[in-house]
Amino acid sequence: MSIVSQISEQELQEQFEARIAAGEKIEVDDWMPEEYRLALIKLISMHGISEIMGALPEKEWVPKAPTLYRKLGIMAKVQDEMGHGQLLLRVAEDLLKPYGKDRGDIMIDLFEGRLKFHNVFHMETKSWGDAGLIGWLVDGSAIISQTNMLGSSYGPYARALQRICAEEVFHAQHGEAIIMALAEGTPEQRALVQDAVNRWWESLLFFFGPASKDTTGTSKQDLTIKYKIRVLTNEELRQSFLTKYVPRIQSIGLTVPDPTLHFDEAQNKWIYQEPNWEYFKKIQRNEGPCSQERLALRRSSYENNAWVREALTALVN
Amino acid sequence: MEKQSFYQEFEVFSKRTATANFQHQFSLLAPNGEMALVMAQENFMRREPVVDIWVVNRKHLHGLTQDSKQALQRLDNKDYRTTKGYGYLKKKWRHYEQVMLDEKEILSWAGGGEKNE
Amino acid sequence: MNNEGTPDYKKAVITLLYQLADDDYLFSYRGSEWLGLAPHIEEDVAFSSITQDTMGHANLYYTLLEELGEGTSDALSQLRPKEERCNSLLVERPNGEGYYKEAPNYDWGYAIARNFVYTTAKKAKIDALKASSYAPIREVAMKISTELYYHQMHWTTWFTQLCTATEESRSRMIAALQEVMKDAGDLLSFGQSVTDITACELIESEAAIKERWLAIVTPTFEAVEIPIPELPAPIINGRNGQHTDDLTSAIETMSEVYRSDLAASW
Repeated sequence: MSIVSQISEQELQEQFEARIAAGEKIEVDDWMPEEYRLALIKLISMHGISEIMGALPEKEWVPKAPTLYRKLGIMAKVQDEMGHGQLLLRVAEDLLKPYGKDRGDIMIDLFEGRLKFHNVFHMETKSWGDAGLIGWLVDGSAIISQTNMLGSSYGPYARALQRICAEEVFHAQHGEAIIMALAEGTPEQRALVQDAVNRWWESLLFFFGPASKDTTGTSKQDLTIKYKIRVLTNEELRQSFLTKYVPRIQSIGLTVPDPTLHFDEAQNKWIYQEPNWEYFKKIQRNEGPCSQERLALRRSSYENNAWVREALTALVN
Repeated sequence: MEKQSFYQEFEVFSKRTATANFQHQFSLLAPNGEMALVMAQENFMRREPVVDIWVVNRKHLHGLTQDSKQALQRLDNKDYRTTKGYGYLKKKWRHYEQVMLDEKEILSWAGGGEKNE
Repeated sequence: MNNEGTPDYKKAVITLLYQLADDDYLFSYRGSEWLGLAPHIEEDVAFSSITQDTMGHANLYYTLLEELGEGTSDALSQLRPKEERCNSLLVERPNGEGYYKEAPNYDWGYAIARNFVYTTAKKAKIDALKASSYAPIREVAMKISTELYYHQMHWTTWFTQLCTATEESRSRMIAALQEVMKDAGDLLSFGQSVTDITACELIESEAAIKERWLAIVTPTFEAVEIPIPELPAPIINGRNGQHTDDLTSAIETMSEVYRSDLAASW
């Protein structure tokens, strides 16, 4: 027997916003405004599918890693990325249930360009230096972005992020270990990591997204901040990244390929050369260096495995 | 039209140690319990000890709606069923030169406690 | 009889260790090519643990070889050329057509059939190695067998389920099994050193290992109603250093960075 309440949509919205303001956690079967649900679905399915896509550039380095220990480290890291994708997709899938959509629909959205994956995973990995840089600075950026959402109002997302952030600590250290060996190594090894920093710098600035709508024309920040899905803005996160990582990069004798980069005491912020946001938009349209190649890889393996999915469907009991 | 898929949600529970309780971990998709079992540990408990696992199809879980969670509310007026309601006995026993058998003392009797001489 | 410490004994130990190490290493290498491409995300994650475990097993054997003065694990696993490798043909076979980076045509049915056959063969050997005359191998076998239980359970579950799910999955699995068995001739072989290896009581005879394997797989084949496949006589024997170009390209890829500076620290 349910207790029928004649409560209006507006009252529900007010109650919901009061819950958010009070710091309560929203759970999967709770009433939520449609814009909250859709914002979460968009954010979390993009986050989840990015982890799945991100595994592809990284796994390229497993066979080539120069020692057994490094091979194992990258394998464990790629496993975690797939695992993070699994956690996040599960959260998104549960939110999608009322629309009758499931993981298969998420994959189709990816292949048909409706679901984007993070710009950083559209880039080429050229050398062993890149493998280290990804673990160090890309995962470092991901940690900053993810810790920003640890207090998220949506309970399942916050709990998934708890697991994810714990594993990211190992990723960062694995990346640092690779970079440290290179930075303290031969001149060729040092050149390898400096070259990686030079090539990845723009992507690292892109990582946190545009500062505002003015930069690229859209930004979903306001809704996600209003509903306490996240706390800091894109630019605040980028500033945090620069504060945490520029000194470390420089401490091991590496340079950042931006001669204008400096911390302005008066304005209390980092001044840097803006990356080319038009290029960012291009990547967002799946026109990055490896966008189509990686989508093709995902798509072809998905299609090749259709018989397996059909078999598993017959095994449901 | 009902969409066919193998995506059954299984909730995964695990015990860390022999004396621990089962705790909930997360959910995974699998066609059946057997498959769910061979994927559970590596998905959610890679970095911790595990001595046992349960997987339960979500359709077999009964839970509370947002509204009916109100059924879990209670008043904080139930000292009569906790030791807090009987704290005054400590002074009384001290008057009779006896030790208070409180929770700490009683639980120390686990495994036989100390033997009398 | 204690002939440990004699040069012949040591040579037999080393020969066997290379076979065991190279098998697990290549099997793990092929497993790692599936990262990110498995048909189900949760399975991708679980499969990866098995691949990591197996590389760990290879490392246990390479470490024993290190202790016998053969070289470092990294050098042994990555640098040795094709002619010196002692793995079975089965584990050097690619996962399907196409380089793993460029939209490869990997076949999950082949992966499951190979993983099932390889893991059950490994179980047969590990069970026998627990009684090896060489103590360090006994210890390694004990360690490996603890993780192997899960590997066997995992692949047996997938094998059984795919063999019985649909007409299509069943016929694909039967075809995959045939492909796998073509290259399994040397899987339970110890090559030209078999007499020395068994005389030193490092492991049981090939016939005994084969019996163990049959006992392990019979219940599964009965459950799925597929006849137990024949182990063919090896046409080329990986144990004797006979290999294919598949192995050459694998070695090239795996040693690319390591070779760029053998003295460097990574």
